[in-house]
Amino acid sequence: MRIGVFICHCGSNIAGTVDCESVVEIASGFPEVVFATDSMYTCSEPGQDGIISAIHEHNLDGVVVASCTPRMHEPTFRRAVERAGLNRYMFEMANIREHVSWIGKDKEHNTRKSADLVLMAVEKLRRNRPLVAKSFETVKRVLVIGGGVAGIQAALDCADGGIDVVMVERDQSIGGKMAKLDKTFPTIDCSSCVLGPKMVDIAQHDKITLHTCAEIESVSGYVGNFSVTIRRRATYVDWTRCTGCGICTEKCPSKRSPDTFNEFMGTTTSINIPFPQAIPKKAAINPDTCMKLQKGKCGICAKVCPVGCIDYEQQDELINVDVGAIVVATGYDLFDWHKYPQYGEGRYPDVITALQYERLLSASGPTGGHIKRPSDGKEPKNVVFIQCVGSRDRSVDRPYCSGFCCMYTAKQAILTKDHIPDSQSFVFYMDIRAPGKGYDEFTRRAMEEYGAQYVRGRVAMIYPKGDRLIVRGADTLAGTQVEVPADLVVLATGVEAAQGAVKLGETLRVVPDQYGFFVESHPKLKPVETNTAGVYLAGACQGPKDIPTSVGQGSAAAAKALGLLSKAQLESDPAVSKVNLSRCVGCQKCISTCPFGAIKAVTDRFGNLKAEVIETVCQGCGICTVTCPQGAIQLEHFTDNQILAEVNALCPPKMYVNFE
Amino acid sequence: MSAEDVRELRIVGFLCNWCSYGGADTAGVARFTQPTDLRIIRVPCSGRIDPLFVARALLNGADGVLVSGCHPRDCHYAEGNFYARRRLEMLKRFLPITGIDERRFEYTWVSASEGQRWQHVVTEFTRRIHELGPAPSFNPSSAEEWANLALHEATKGETCPCHGA
Amino acid sequence: MSQLEELKAAIRGHLDSLDCVIGWEEGYDPLHATPLFIHTEADLDRLNISPLAVHNLATYATGFKGTKIGIVVRGCHSRSIIELLTEKLIERDEVVLFGLCCDGVVSQRKIRAALPADPGFVEAVEIGADELEITIAGEKTTLKVQDVLADKCRICAYPDPLLADVLIGEKHAERPNDVGLACQDDFEAKSGAEKLAFWQDTMSRCIRCYACRNVCPMCVCQDYCIAGSRDPLWMSQENTPAENFMFQMIHVSHLTGRCTECGECERACPVDIPLMLLRRYMNKQVREVFGHQAGITLDKTPPLLTFQVEEARIKERDW
Repeated sequence: MRIGVFICHCGSNIAGTVDCESVVEIASGFPEVVFATDSMYTCSEPGQDGIISAIHEHNLDGVVVASCTPRMHEPTFRRAVERAGLNRYMFEMANIREHVSWIGKDKEHNTRKSADLVLMAVEKLRRNRPLVAKSFETVKRVLVIGGGVAGIQAALDCADGGIDVVMVERDQSIGGKMAKLDKTFPTIDCSSCVLGPKMVDIAQHDKITLHTCAEIESVSGYVGNFSVTIRRRATYVDWTRCTGCGICTEKCPSKRSPDTFNEFMGTTTSINIPFPQAIPKKAAINPDTCMKLQKGKCGICAKVCPVGCIDYEQQDELINVDVGAIVVATGYDLFDWHKYPQYGEGRYPDVITALQYERLLSASGPTGGHIKRPSDGKEPKNVVFIQCVGSRDRSVDRPYCSGFCCMYTAKQAILTKDHIPDSQSFVFYMDIRAPGKGYDEFTRRAMEEYGAQYVRGRVAMIYPKGDRLIVRGADTLAGTQVEVPADLVVLATGVEAAQGAVKLGETLRVVPDQYGFFVESHPKLKPVETNTAGVYLAGACQGPKDIPTSVGQGSAAAAKALGLLSKAQLESDPAVSKVNLSRCVGCQKCISTCPFGAIKAVTDRFGNLKAEVIETVCQGCGICTVTCPQGAIQLEHFTDNQILAEVNALCPPKMYVNFE
Repeated sequence: MSAEDVRELRIVGFLCNWCSYGGADTAGVARFTQPTDLRIIRVPCSGRIDPLFVARALLNGADGVLVSGCHPRDCHYAEGNFYARRRLEMLKRFLPITGIDERRFEYTWVSASEGQRWQHVVTEFTRRIHELGPAPSFNPSSAEEWANLALHEATKGETCPCHGA
Repeated sequence: MSQLEELKAAIRGHLDSLDCVIGWEEGYDPLHATPLFIHTEADLDRLNISPLAVHNLATYATGFKGTKIGIVVRGCHSRSIIELLTEKLIERDEVVLFGLCCDGVVSQRKIRAALPADPGFVEAVEIGADELEITIAGEKTTLKVQDVLADKCRICAYPDPLLADVLIGEKHAERPNDVGLACQDDFEAKSGAEKLAFWQDTMSRCIRCYACRNVCPMCVCQDYCIAGSRDPLWMSQENTPAENFMFQMIHVSHLTGRCTECGECERACPVDIPLMLLRRYMNKQVREVFGHQAGITLDKTPPLLTFQVEEARIKERDW
């Protein structure tokens, strides 16, 4: 090989504590180095031109640049050597800034260390070989998992961008948590008036295919080419014919189904359309409570259905679809507040969650928009709100802030006053977190205009007294204990990862954090990407988020998916594992340790089992290379020989000394 | 470590690209002063680190070997550090039977944001290696020792603790 | 019917459906056995299952992949078979296991130590219930089998095959599986410097013949061991102590969680390197950390091919 070495001064960043000229001199003596020089700023245009002209002038076929971290400028220099006609992988970097000049002032030591790092780079480069990316086609279709507001936004943006969308929703209707809300902060506009039209757009968009009552069964493949199997649960209603007229729901005699849409505040019919604005507006039977399905008796819905779409024999259906990208928008669930003994563990019917309260406020809710407390249907006068129920509490393993509870509590206090002008709201809070646009003004309005009394402190217990509840807590600002009589207690239950998120994460190879929220690729710079290429995150599945942020993320994820699929072809990173077929004994250990399913077993023409890497799936981690005892599968660009060369450069083996 | 009066020792680092190499960069950007003995080999993932790389370095005469990867559950490749932890723990436990001081090898987890922690790890590990001093060479280090070895080989006796019994 | 006759009858019954059955026969002298490859009934006559028949025949199993063979296995040998099956290196329907409930095998090293130096040709060996009578140049030496039993047999926890299609002999009562060896404990108690000096010295004796590897049932890389390849190039061919030890480190690394402690590596070593010191020690570590013993059941994944998100017994060192 003919190797060129370029030592960067980085102004005085490196040259200040490294004798760059000496490093050049030492490097000139390294094996196969035919050219070595230093430059002021190697990454600048003249610096890069210097590399290119040296490649031409000295007929170099490999380049080492000693400068800053490769995490910064490796792509820059790879492009430079490529412009000079070299393969981009015939390049190595030595990090003599972050790892040398910036962490020590001893010039002699720094110079020696820099020379060592250059030698390591040279020794590795001597074993590099040109690698070429492979191009592959992509499926121009996006899967959106979850039909809450984040998923809806992502689906509409992708569809409007001209890409086919498949949306999968676990519930019977899309809309998610937002569809259950009465009003939204800080504008107090009607939630269903904002969300409803978007839900209708999903149903009517000719680029969007919607599967509700459906979950992801399995996912295989890789970026640009995922194969997804969707399990659609039996609804016992043929949705191609159901018109959503609702006659069946009026006539159904079984009224024991839990009303999930109304947050279990009451029951509903076995055959049901969850709410008037449901999308799709189709009926479905709850098999657990349907008398026909349970006991074989009844069948009234089939008799009254004007289009004859009831089908008691319907089975789950598996739907296969190929997609190029996946947006995960599975949202959140609520913390189970019954874990707290101080709130009565469910003994008092007038202790409810904020989302249940939201249903009481809603005109389409179980009380028709009149606030009636569950125990006796009376209109409450004193309403106590308790914040941080399952947020910021290590004792229940929920140390994080759920983010938007402060805001909806303020909203509900305002709405309470609107509904019942002679009511009084009390809010027990820890800190008020209102950092959004117009948010702090909003909480102030709740206090100043609507007279909500904010008490800074935790609630120690709730106990009944007559037909009221007494809420006993601390007022830490006054330094006293307070007791507030309440007609209704509303708990701001915290946000949890959606049920099933961990399992879905395994299917998608997206890692959940310790609380079950999916981990993004980079907390700042890649907030909607995951470490699995082609899988993006939107909304609260990544962590608690309010509506505007979820919508923003939905659009961001859509933009990422559109960007990915706008390319005619994708290029795979060629630094992936490669099997030396003659060395492979077919033990399949690499297949069992690969986290990406990127290795498959194939039979060669002699009938022997061999491992084969699916290059586009391989992410280049190298777990397989260490797994393979005979070194048959090697991670390109980080082969055993390349790493061993670096080790041997640093610690040359002690051989027999010459006795003479 | 004051550089003038202390001879540098040979410490090899294997760092995963995504977390620990980034953490070392972060420490550099923040100008967190560190001893200069360590030389870092960059690998994509701690799951790429074969314990035999460490064995090779130690037998070649490295005075210390430091491995660092992403914290468990934070692996860029989801599972690499889980495999690495098992492999490296077994290496750590293997060393005592060989007589190579297991304190010369350490593995730990440092994230890309933990520049200060990286400084601490490097400083502590380097201090430990300096306390241990230069590693004894596995091969004879002088002509005289080689000669003794050759002599011994010619007259080899029963040295096994089991077989003698 | 003696155990030998019982085994012969069992093999005879299977011979037609098998390409070959591997057992033992008398070797170059009556004191040494050698593997026997039985193809015909006539071959069966030479079968020998005395305590001199020491080889772990599971070592041959991977080489016969794709054919159907029978293997005579003792307890520890069956563990190697189980480990090979667990790792999908052999197919269950390609091996018929003739299991021997085993009372232990001899250590040729211990016999050699008990006989005069350079004793000459062994004329005859009489094997009694618990004695060996060795005739050399007309001179008879009687040795107690117990005294020359291999170390692995002295602490054996699994004398009866854990997997067999045909089981010959009486099953033993259950034995404790954590018995240690005094010499192992003594060695482990030595200082680091003493241990290092021991291996430097021992490794200077190693001639890198790779017998320890070739005889190991778990060394399945066949011709592709990384000790002898240029790509990857892990080792030079220099016969220095460090290079020789590097090879042993490779062997230890590749056996972690897989070694079934059959003792073949140490038995095969022509220069008496006590490799079982490494094996027993590492198996103890594997049991401590992963609660795993190789080759006991068919449903356990080797510990280095899997992980736990929270490792109960790996203490993360705090910095």
